[in-house]
Amino acid sequence: MATTTRRRWRSPKPRRQQRAPAAGQGAFRLLRLLVVLLFLVLLGQLVRMQVVEGERYRELAAINALREVQVPAARGLIYDRQGRPLVYNEPRYAAAVVPGDLPAGQEETVYEELGRIIGMAPGEIRARVTEARGRASPYVPLVLKEDLDRNTALALKEREPDLPGVRLVVQSTRRYVEGPLMAHVLGYMGPISSEEYQALRDQGYTMHDWLGKAGVEASYESLLRGEPGRRLVEVDASGRERRVVSERAPVDGANLVLTVDLDLQRKVAEALQQHMGRSENAAAAVMDVRTGEVLALVSLPTFDPNIFSRPLRPEELAALTDNPGKPLLNHATAENFAPGSTFKTIVAAAALQEGVARPDTTFVSQGYIVIPNEIDPNAVYVCEDWSRLGRLDMYRALAMSSNVYFYYLAGARPDEFRGLGPDRLANYARAFGLGEPTGIDLPAEVAGTVPDPRWKERTIGEPWYLGNTCWFAIGEEYLRATPLQMLVAVGAIANGGQLLQPHLLREARDASGHAVRTAQREVKRMVPVSPQNLEVVRQGMVMSVESGVAQAAAVRGVKVAGKTGTAEFGEPDAQGRLSTHGWFVGFAPADDPLVAVVVFMRRGSGGQDAAPAAAKILDYIFNGSDLAQRLRAGRP
Amino acid sequence: MRAPHLPRHFDPWLLTAALALAAYGGLLIYSASLSSYPEGIRGLDHPVAKQAIYACVGLLLLAGAAYMDYRLLGAVAPSLYGLGLVLLVAVLLVGDASYGARRWLTIGGVQIQPSELAKLFTIIALARFLTDRQGEMHKLSNFLLSILIAGLPAVLVMVEPDMGTAIVFGAIWLALVTMGGARAGHVLSLLAFMVLAIPLIAVAALGDYQRERLALFFNPNLDPLGGGFNIRQAEIGVGSGGVLGRGLFQGTQTQLDFLQTASTDYIFSVLGEELGLLGAVVLLGLYTLLLFRGIRAASLAYDLFGRLLVTGIVVMVLVQVFINVAVNVRLLPVTGIPLPLISQGGSSLISTLVGVGLIESVLLRHKAIDF
Repeated sequence: MATTTRRRWRSPKPRRQQRAPAAGQGAFRLLRLLVVLLFLVLLGQLVRMQVVEGERYRELAAINALREVQVPAARGLIYDRQGRPLVYNEPRYAAAVVPGDLPAGQEETVYEELGRIIGMAPGEIRARVTEARGRASPYVPLVLKEDLDRNTALALKEREPDLPGVRLVVQSTRRYVEGPLMAHVLGYMGPISSEEYQALRDQGYTMHDWLGKAGVEASYESLLRGEPGRRLVEVDASGRERRVVSERAPVDGANLVLTVDLDLQRKVAEALQQHMGRSENAAAAVMDVRTGEVLALVSLPTFDPNIFSRPLRPEELAALTDNPGKPLLNHATAENFAPGSTFKTIVAAAALQEGVARPDTTFVSQGYIVIPNEIDPNAVYVCEDWSRLGRLDMYRALAMSSNVYFYYLAGARPDEFRGLGPDRLANYARAFGLGEPTGIDLPAEVAGTVPDPRWKERTIGEPWYLGNTCWFAIGEEYLRATPLQMLVAVGAIANGGQLLQPHLLREARDASGHAVRTAQREVKRMVPVSPQNLEVVRQGMVMSVESGVAQAAAVRGVKVAGKTGTAEFGEPDAQGRLSTHGWFVGFAPADDPLVAVVVFMRRGSGGQDAAPAAAKILDYIFNGSDLAQRLRAGRP
Repeated sequence: MRAPHLPRHFDPWLLTAALALAAYGGLLIYSASLSSYPEGIRGLDHPVAKQAIYACVGLLLLAGAAYMDYRLLGAVAPSLYGLGLVLLVAVLLVGDASYGARRWLTIGGVQIQPSELAKLFTIIALARFLTDRQGEMHKLSNFLLSILIAGLPAVLVMVEPDMGTAIVFGAIWLALVTMGGARAGHVLSLLAFMVLAIPLIAVAALGDYQRERLALFFNPNLDPLGGGFNIRQAEIGVGSGGVLGRGLFQGTQTQLDFLQTASTDYIFSVLGEELGLLGAVVLLGLYTLLLFRGIRAASLAYDLFGRLLVTGIVVMVLVQVFINVAVNVRLLPVTGIPLPLISQGGSSLISTLVGVGLIESVLLRHKAIDF
């Protein structure tokens, strides 16, 4: 090409130039047509996008630029009955990234800087972001490190504007002032589970919310939470807020005033701790028998709910779940036990009311009774008393806690004495609130078990034997009740038959102090026992403390009525002895009852372990503080 | 080449259209850079100020090009063409890369885009070649030589990679050889050959970069936060503008930075979003005026060289406008090509204005004898 063309390339002289041929005019028409045609194609597409689908694109642009941000409401605080704070809100800082807001192509720079501030390897951040991108929407913040200290949080806050996609997440967390002391009453909070989220998303919960998981925190979640506000903001491509489009202020959660008296609670915990011995766990509660207000509710061992306010270390969780005392469980409400002889109060009331026995009905305890064996007519079954108590009327039987007396009342020897029989006894047990939750304002309450022949047939597949009636009469074998159920039942005996609904909330007040809910005294039902008959039971209980087996519950200056229980459970040890639960239920003053108390110890004796603990509690109420006076005067 | 007859044939409409487009562009660049320069033009580092300086330089060169006899270009065509090739090779060796492509060359502190110059130089070279071979273009050897002239720079820009500009070279060649008398059979068989070769090219010649861009065109949701992000955001921007637009400086896509490279390759999205269909009609109207006046100039040209020169410039502008807007409205895969006279960038603005100057130069001399 070079040689042939060079000549011409070098001859710029317009020697060969002529007027352009006129034939070219058609080409220009074609070119004009091409311009029009190409532009029409563009216009056609523009009309399709801007006119036909303009609305849809405008929505997409709005989705891009508008984000709804939840403004959390301050969670309500909780006070004891005297207004002493039990929980505060504390800020907690976390470092997060919004993967969708990271600068494309410059993520590494952000990872490095962020890693330097929070002390995390950039590689780890990258891995977590990559993993999160495949999992969730890129605009969901991914929390990288929780529980930043204040200085780190400040440093991050400072650098936030220069690090697109990086967020300092400020979460409010709960600080439980009394730590373990109020753990089972207050409960704790935790991150929402996916099941909870499914159930609560309609109420405005997000996947990152925390909510009450136990205790009052859980049962009054809706009151405490308040109503989160919403802010519609315009964000730029880096996710930074540019402008607030609209805003609805949050409504802070209500503050709760509980019925619990912090000083009493402390005293109850101390008394229980002193007397629980080698019990894995123990529980005690005090209730105002006129109102159902729970003045103290203690379950041991306990835990510090503050550990749930930050990420739980595996060893901390293991320490809680592996502990044989099951510290997370509220043993006063969430676990049931054989109530033992405390149940005799109900047997006595039932027998009186049904006309089966009178106060002066007398039996002699030889230390046991023999009942026919219904399976093998040649054998007999022996039901024992704890001692040869001799001749007993009903008062003395209650005071001395004679098993034999109550075997007869329950109908274990129908040939000698027409007793109640298991069905009638079960009906009374249920009337006193056993077998159903008390309805206290705490989650995870259990119902317990009231056995009867139908129940046994259904669950065990065997008929009811007289031997079962023996055990039923003294509150062992199948019968199960929570300490709180026994407290409410004894409360009904004390207050003349009103089965109260126990409650922990006294009042809920909104942020400006107006009461939004005031707890009302609620009588679930009247127990079907006449006042006279209840008076008999009360007298028996007074005698028990004055001269019977519950003498350790006596308190100076106040007449206490009480009933102990020592219920065998589990498998016999090497010496063939069974462990026993130690129980005490009682109330004071016996003549004008104010408070009822229940003490339960997993291992112990009712008379030697539970009763003295109850005495300390009652002594504090009537002698050690002005609580009794305040209650009488209707003051908190 | 005497001065007195010059003003009579000067086309004011051509210049007006070009100036109006440049001003329109300035307005859009201002809007697109508002989020980075919220306080407006405070100094010469503002994109609009820079663009205005380039426009002034461009206008001076336009005047010079119009004053100069375009026929002189024929004489220096081989040198200009050679210079263009040298620059295109240089950019591959020592160019500045951005967005995955190596397109800029820094000379004496000024960044230039050699492909913009090479386009003009190649038009001149092709016009000269076709004029020299007038009446001989039916020969296959001449036809193949013309392919070589356009193909060399096209291949060099494709390597950058800059597929869009390579296509512009192709379109210029096609228009000029058709007008220059090439055989329809030759042209058609070449086109057929290229169509058949597309799948092969896609596999063998296209880099990962281009294949990825093509894949994203067909499904931008593949990677909504990576390469597909911009396609998607541009589409949303244009679509959300509606008929009247969301108002100048009011487009959320533009002002909240959802749109990247808003002042260059995606400036049409700014217009579509903020000024709507109406703004787009005005824009295309101005281009139509510019191009029609250009075609008029080509049809009036005194000689074949002038006609081919003007046609080449007209086609260059037309194809760039079409490709750029088509990318913005998702009719074509992403390819970085500026919107002539509108997009921010000195090389494109100046070379387009020089092109306009050359058209005027051809017009001014379209009568052999002027009375």
